[in-house]
Amino acid sequence: MISCSSSYSDENSMFHGSLMHIMGTRFDMLLIGMNRDDAGQLWHSIEEELKRLHLMMNRFDPDSEISRINQHAIQHFVPVSEELWAILQDCRSYHQKTFGLFDITLKDLNKVSFNQEYRSLRFQQSDFSFDLGGYAKGYAMKRLVNLLKEHKVENCFVDFGNSAIFALGNHPYGDSWKVSIGNPYQDGAVLSEFSLKNRALSTSGNSPSYTGHIVNPLSGTFNIRRMLLCVECDDPIDAEVLSTTLMVADKSQKKEILDQFEDTHLKEFYL
Amino acid sequence: MSKKQVKKVDLGLRQFIKDLGYITGGAAMLGTMPWLQSFTPDKLNELKREKARIALIGTGSRGQYHIHNLLLMAHVEIVALCDIYPPNLEVAATLCPQAKKYTDYRKMMESPDIDGVVIATPLYWHAPMVLDALSAGKHVFCEKSMALTMEQCKAIYDTYQTTDKVLYFCMQRMFDEKYIKGIQMIHTGMIGDVVGARCHWFRNHDWRRPVPSPELEKQINWRLYRESSGGLMTELASHQLEVCNWVTRHIPQSVVGMGDIVNWKDGREVYDSVSLTYRYNSGVKITYESLISNKFNGMEDQILGNKGTMNLATGKYFLENDSTSGNSGIEQLLTQIGNKVFAAVPAAGSSWRPETKKEYKPHYIIEGDYNINDGLSMIGAVKDGSDEILSSFCQACITGDKGKDIVEEAYSATMLCLLGNQAMDEQRVIAFPEEYKIPYMHF
Repeated sequence: MISCSSSYSDENSMFHGSLMHIMGTRFDMLLIGMNRDDAGQLWHSIEEELKRLHLMMNRFDPDSEISRINQHAIQHFVPVSEELWAILQDCRSYHQKTFGLFDITLKDLNKVSFNQEYRSLRFQQSDFSFDLGGYAKGYAMKRLVNLLKEHKVENCFVDFGNSAIFALGNHPYGDSWKVSIGNPYQDGAVLSEFSLKNRALSTSGNSPSYTGHIVNPLSGTFNIRRMLLCVECDDPIDAEVLSTTLMVADKSQKKEILDQFEDTHLKEFYL
Repeated sequence: MSKKQVKKVDLGLRQFIKDLGYITGGAAMLGTMPWLQSFTPDKLNELKREKARIALIGTGSRGQYHIHNLLLMAHVEIVALCDIYPPNLEVAATLCPQAKKYTDYRKMMESPDIDGVVIATPLYWHAPMVLDALSAGKHVFCEKSMALTMEQCKAIYDTYQTTDKVLYFCMQRMFDEKYIKGIQMIHTGMIGDVVGARCHWFRNHDWRRPVPSPELEKQINWRLYRESSGGLMTELASHQLEVCNWVTRHIPQSVVGMGDIVNWKDGREVYDSVSLTYRYNSGVKITYESLISNKFNGMEDQILGNKGTMNLATGKYFLENDSTSGNSGIEQLLTQIGNKVFAAVPAAGSSWRPETKKEYKPHYIIEGDYNINDGLSMIGAVKDGSDEILSSFCQACITGDKGKDIVEEAYSATMLCLLGNQAMDEQRVIAFPEEYKIPYMHF
């Protein structure tokens, strides 16, 4: 169950909004320099948008649109809403750009028939389903960043589960937002630091208590290496997709994939 | 509740209620806690310079506690004091020398210069004083529990249905920020379905007050005798059972329990050890325990959900599958900015996610400092909602706003206490009697 809390500090004109249990994790947003009323109203819009997206893309919710597709697309063509259709086409595009390593079926996206004319789709084989886990947070983040820009927000820190971050403008006492990356295998050890300004950062990796959660759809094997990687770029969706995909790409694949994305920085750590 | 706000009586809670307007479900939450609707800074400001003229009956430790709070409220003037025990009356008079002193409360109520009375007397006096005050046309604030017997409770409830006067009982958890927010979290599904409740209140104290002369024993130690007290149930459990009703929005259908005098065999008549089980029709149960010869477990109100546990008394909650383990980078960032420091926000390698845990990590209902009642004081804890509910009552003395649901909650909780005592005395399962059910109750 999603729950929400918020607080406002007059001293720094700082609004903190938090949602728990959204898209499998927590969401936090720090808005700087807005008055209490405006920040509260904007937060309300953001909260509603996140809940809407959660409902659309949550495959564990039997009432979500993605669940409806997962339940019925093996039997017949299923019509898809305009927004989800655009998302799925975007996922297909990432699938191509990553040579099949980004795959929302976790198996083979090529085995899904898409009918552009009727905006419908069907799975060509059984035991298929969509999992937008490596995409949804990036998409939600991008929508929110657009919303923030529409509201002329200049300084804001957005954090999805401490692994997907967008930093707009700068910290109230600095010229950017600084993010440090900790070593999950060594408490307190810092691996690297990023200074972000109008940039997205996404991290993926294994940790002592959570290993082998990212699968290579081409080989069906899970990455169990002690590693962590960070992707910094302008687009939150690119960051989210790449941080997951590059976990299972080999050296040459990484280079070929990254060459297709401008101004994107990758940092890898083998721990 | 920040330390800065402690001295500004009740303003913290008023701002908190105003802030609910900024969160989704805030308005809906107020809809389920209607007694808070008018408890905002704006409503207080609307009073301008009007003052509620308040009289106190009972100037013992609890009465003096209220006096200290009342003296901090700009919308209050203490105009009269009444007690039959001169030492207490004199202490109270030094706190508010302008107030007129009385020893006969009925005489005091004849005064047209009193808007509301605050009753802080032994339980057996509640019913006659409340009924007399309402009859005299006064607004009434009375300590919990509602009354000593079920008949008296029903008489008060029935009278309240026919009066336009304000009636409050000091169920202060209804105005305690951590309870309000914690129960809001429960109602929005934070801990899943409520599957049980465990409430207890443990102290290690004889519950006695010093008696200057033997003939005053029953007057001063009224809590220990059945003709004047319902014992641990009416003095302590009433608050906690009220919370369970508030959380579940239902009333238990039956109760079973055992009560004994285990340790303090000093001539007292009320139990010093009680263990009860209240059962809702759904099968959900409240396990209630109170013992006053061991304080190891303190005082807690635990609401058990299938997804988590809300410990309202300590202001903490725990999730069965915690997706927030690890240090929160955003919390560190908030602290940094508060300290005007520009430093890095720690990020994790992978997202927070549900995982198997050996120990439950506490989460806090309220960010920042807040007050916890350790349950040890016989008078009242700091910032436990008592000053807020009293402030709300005094505001109501001016506006006439009746404070929806407060009487009903007090009635329901007191009935459960009295039924618990009956179950322990008769050593059998007691079902909630039909004749004492009111429309407010859902079983």
